[in-house]
Amino acid sequence: MTAAIDVENLQKRYEDVRALDGVSLTVPEGSFFGLLGPNGAGKTTFINILVGLVRRTGGRAEVFGHDVEDDYRRARDAIGLAPQEFNVDRFFPIREVLQHKAGYHGIPESTAGERADEVLRRVGIYDKRDTRFDWLSGGMKRRFMLARALITDPDLLILDEPTAGVDVQLRHDLWDLITELNEGGTTILLTTHYIEEAERLCDEVAILDSGRLLTVATPEELMDRGPDRITVTLRDAPATVPDLPTLAAGEREGRIEAVELDGDKLVVTATRGGLVAPDLVRALDRAGHEIVDFDISRTSLEEVFVEMTREGGGDRTAEPVAADGGELP
Amino acid sequence: MSLVSGLTGFKTLTKREILRFLRRPRNTFVPPFVTNVLYFAVFGVILGDRVGEISLADGDPVPYILFILPGLVVLGAISNAFENASFSIFHGRWNEYIEETLTSPMPYSRMVAAYIVAGATRGILVGSLIAVIGAFFTSVGVARPLYLLAFGLVVSLLFASFGVVVGLWADDWDNLTMMNQFIVRPLVFFGGVFYAVRELPSPYQELSFLNPMVYMVNGVRYGFLGVSEVDPVWSLAVLTGLTAAVAGLDVALFERGYGLTD
Ligand SMILES: Nc1ncnc2c1ncn2[C@@H]1O[C@H](COP(=O)(O)OP(=O)(O)O)[C@@H](O)[C@H]1O
Ligand SMILES: [Mg+2]
Repeated sequence: MTAAIDVENLQKRYEDVRALDGVSLTVPEGSFFGLLGPNGAGKTTFINILVGLVRRTGGRAEVFGHDVEDDYRRARDAIGLAPQEFNVDRFFPIREVLQHKAGYHGIPESTAGERADEVLRRVGIYDKRDTRFDWLSGGMKRRFMLARALITDPDLLILDEPTAGVDVQLRHDLWDLITELNEGGTTILLTTHYIEEAERLCDEVAILDSGRLLTVATPEELMDRGPDRITVTLRDAPATVPDLPTLAAGEREGRIEAVELDGDKLVVTATRGGLVAPDLVRALDRAGHEIVDFDISRTSLEEVFVEMTREGGGDRTAEPVAADGGELP
Repeated sequence: MSLVSGLTGFKTLTKREILRFLRRPRNTFVPPFVTNVLYFAVFGVILGDRVGEISLADGDPVPYILFILPGLVVLGAISNAFENASFSIFHGRWNEYIEETLTSPMPYSRMVAAYIVAGATRGILVGSLIAVIGAFFTSVGVARPLYLLAFGLVVSLLFASFGVVVGLWADDWDNLTMMNQFIVRPLVFFGGVFYAVRELPSPYQELSFLNPMVYMVNGVRYGFLGVSEVDPVWSLAVLTGLTAAVAGLDVALFERGYGLTD
């Protein structure tokens, strides 16, 4: 099976900035793929190379097996993009903008109107079809960006920070919509810095920082890399940390990072806490401690993310954060 | 996946570009209308009575108002063709919505063709409007309809193609106005719109023949009046060649992403 996106050693330099510094990545067809990274990591640059708005300075980039430059027509034919910035034709009412976009992609005029209505209904702004983009509210503008990406019925849907600055209701609507699309077979590439979003939606995430790929993994795998906190509340608080063989063994083997006693609470910090917990409970029980409460909190993807990008991001170039829904210059 | 092989993209972009100016007649048709009514009234009627008739190289002398009419048609056609293409591309870059087209599978040559065709359409419409206004001031015939059509078409296409280059090159609104005010207009005014080039003393006469506008104005004049200061066939050939060259440059610039991609 051809990958939806396949890039190898992809590079982009702007004079002194290496926006992408040798990224190799494969996004399988049908997957829901997250591209995470702090501001200025190179996410938008990566996407813009795929659609031809940025020219790579090195490496290879293919969409469904088609080189994004040599075979740009086939590559772009497959992509629907909802970019981070609002780049919408302001001369025409939004329904016409959609018809035009469909036409540029070769969809005949006879069906473009129907399609426009369909996607406008789908994102819930059909009532506004005769309005120009400028007159839409911020949330509706975001909805429209998705409608425009969907008008060509893309095999690969790329969403660049689609939920930046939108309210909870809309965020959930968008999530439902793209999940449904993905279940219908559309490959999704999502960039975001809401880690919760990636954790909830993505099969696989890549973490990008300063133009370099730090890792590619499932959200589960990433969370396994971070330590979990096991908190056991005991009926009678012991004076010192109970001397248990399983704790000693865990610390020796490096599975357990720390053991602390906080009043009647025993807090154990361990990687893959789920594996440590049963032994711990059994050992405490055997040693005669009565357990009244028990809790494992997993490291959030967010914590793993922050940890990873802090290490790699020393030379990050600051980027002015685009105002959400901001007008273009 | 349906790969676009037809002309749907080209047709859509051309339509979009034409609708853009048709729906804003106050910005696109009213200004040339007003200006040209003034030109005909002041230069044609008031001044024309004093100037009398103008003799061209061959044929009978023509009344001044009839002499300037073809020049005004050319001026209107080329500045509107130029403005349409340059404005539309620059505005699309400025507000980034040109990306709607750029990220589509349309071949670059067809994007360029759409901008040129739409710009030329506006040029021809405004040129025709000016001819009609002229017809209210004086009786004007069309001596060589095919030549008129050919020259009208080629000058509009040429300036629309030129407008594409400027639309890509400009990085500020001032650049656009500057090109129109300081380059296009002076060339037209010294291009034999208001006087016969052959009446100029040497070396101004010889210098004038280096100005491409002289050929454009005279070509269109030949179409209306059947008289010209230069050989129309030769002019048409050169202008067609020039148009092809500038359109070729447009396509090359789009392919390179000049002004369009980072
Ligand atoms: N046109 C440009 N010229 C110079 N530098 C740029 C340009 N576009 C992006 N960059 C730089 O490239 C880096 C990556 O930017 P970007 O891809 O927008 O990051 P992200 O989308 O992850 O926030 C940043 O350091 C940014 O400042
Ligand atoms: Mg970005």
